[in-house]
Amino acid sequence: MADTIALPQVRPAQPSLQFLRIIPGVLLLAAVGYAGKLLEKNVGAYAKAHHWTFPNIEYVLWAILIGLAISNTVGVPQIFRAGVATYEFWLKAGIVLLGARFLLGDVLKLGGVSLVLVAIEIAGATAFMIFLGRAFGLRPKLTSLLAVGSAVCGVSAIIATQGAIEADEEDSSFAIAAILALGALSLFTFPLIGHWLHLSDHAYGLWAGLAVDNTAEATAAGALYSDAAGKLAVLAKTTRNAMIGFVVLAYAIYWASQGQAKTIGNKAAFLWQKFPKFVLGFLLISVLATYQFFTKDQITALANLSRWAFLLTFAGVGLRTNFREMRKQGLRPFAVGAIGEVVIAIFTLGLVAGAGKLFGF
Amino acid sequence: MSVNPQSVGSSKKWLLSVDGWAVLAAFVAALLIRAGVFKHIPW
Repeated sequence: MADTIALPQVRPAQPSLQFLRIIPGVLLLAAVGYAGKLLEKNVGAYAKAHHWTFPNIEYVLWAILIGLAISNTVGVPQIFRAGVATYEFWLKAGIVLLGARFLLGDVLKLGGVSLVLVAIEIAGATAFMIFLGRAFGLRPKLTSLLAVGSAVCGVSAIIATQGAIEADEEDSSFAIAAILALGALSLFTFPLIGHWLHLSDHAYGLWAGLAVDNTAEATAAGALYSDAAGKLAVLAKTTRNAMIGFVVLAYAIYWASQGQAKTIGNKAAFLWQKFPKFVLGFLLISVLATYQFFTKDQITALANLSRWAFLLTFAGVGLRTNFREMRKQGLRPFAVGAIGEVVIAIFTLGLVAGAGKLFGF
Repeated sequence: MSVNPQSVGSSKKWLLSVDGWAVLAAFVAALLIRAGVFKHIPW
């Protein structure tokens, strides 16, 4: 991942200077996102005025497409990279703010359903990815990273596991590239399959949250279908994210038992360290909204602010996806990831269909 | 990539993790909206 966008290795600098470094990239995210919003509004109106048949393309897809076009043609210049990497910050802030649109009862009910499905998905996906990794002769730790990336939550899970099981950086780069390439593909395939199968917003959102690995891509895949599906995808994905600590801990214990990683001393501290704190923020905002800490207008304002944060995230998803760099990582991890993802997508679709029959959605 | 392995250590320079900053920023925004500083956020 030589050309990936990351917070670069910088020399110690004043916090104010570090803050200044992110401004150009954040402005680029805003410009790309807003261009997507303008295109959604104007292209549809222009096509209608000229009696053209043109599909209604949502701002989410426009923002991703513009980002992809920049990243895969002229590339993202160095000056913008630190700011573009903040897309993860906007994603998490957007998820916390989205909590205002959920009443606590809904979170507990839907989150409960999601939790059961997530537990089944994690067990099934992990077992299948390990089988697949062995069948393709991948290195055991690379297989572990791919399994955790596919089963739990993409890049964050891979990074957390890499540290815990002391895997090579090369292995984690392979796993990250495979997960991100497949995440990019899912943005285009999931909505098509969802419409083809006439899935309800609820079923589709749950499916996207369970099957798409990276949180940004899961949020975008949900939002590409509908606003309601986007909400559900975030909830299901957040439930999956909450499991990250347990899965990483299990892998750390396994590799320590093999004498290939450090033993974890304080397991509770380890779980807290790995737990994604934005999940707590999401729950807290939901509790505040449930107990009417915010008025109706204020909840609308919070929901709109969440949309703006997601707009920057979607721009970042496009801008950080470079297919040329991903191709360099080799075919075998990608093949294992791709086969695994297809099977996981079918498996989770079956789970959602079963849950839909049981709970009536 | 959001979190390239090489970038993980850099969060220390920012005092809080990305998660921490995101939660803090979201709550500050929520409190400002609650206090009426921002009455309407257009979309």
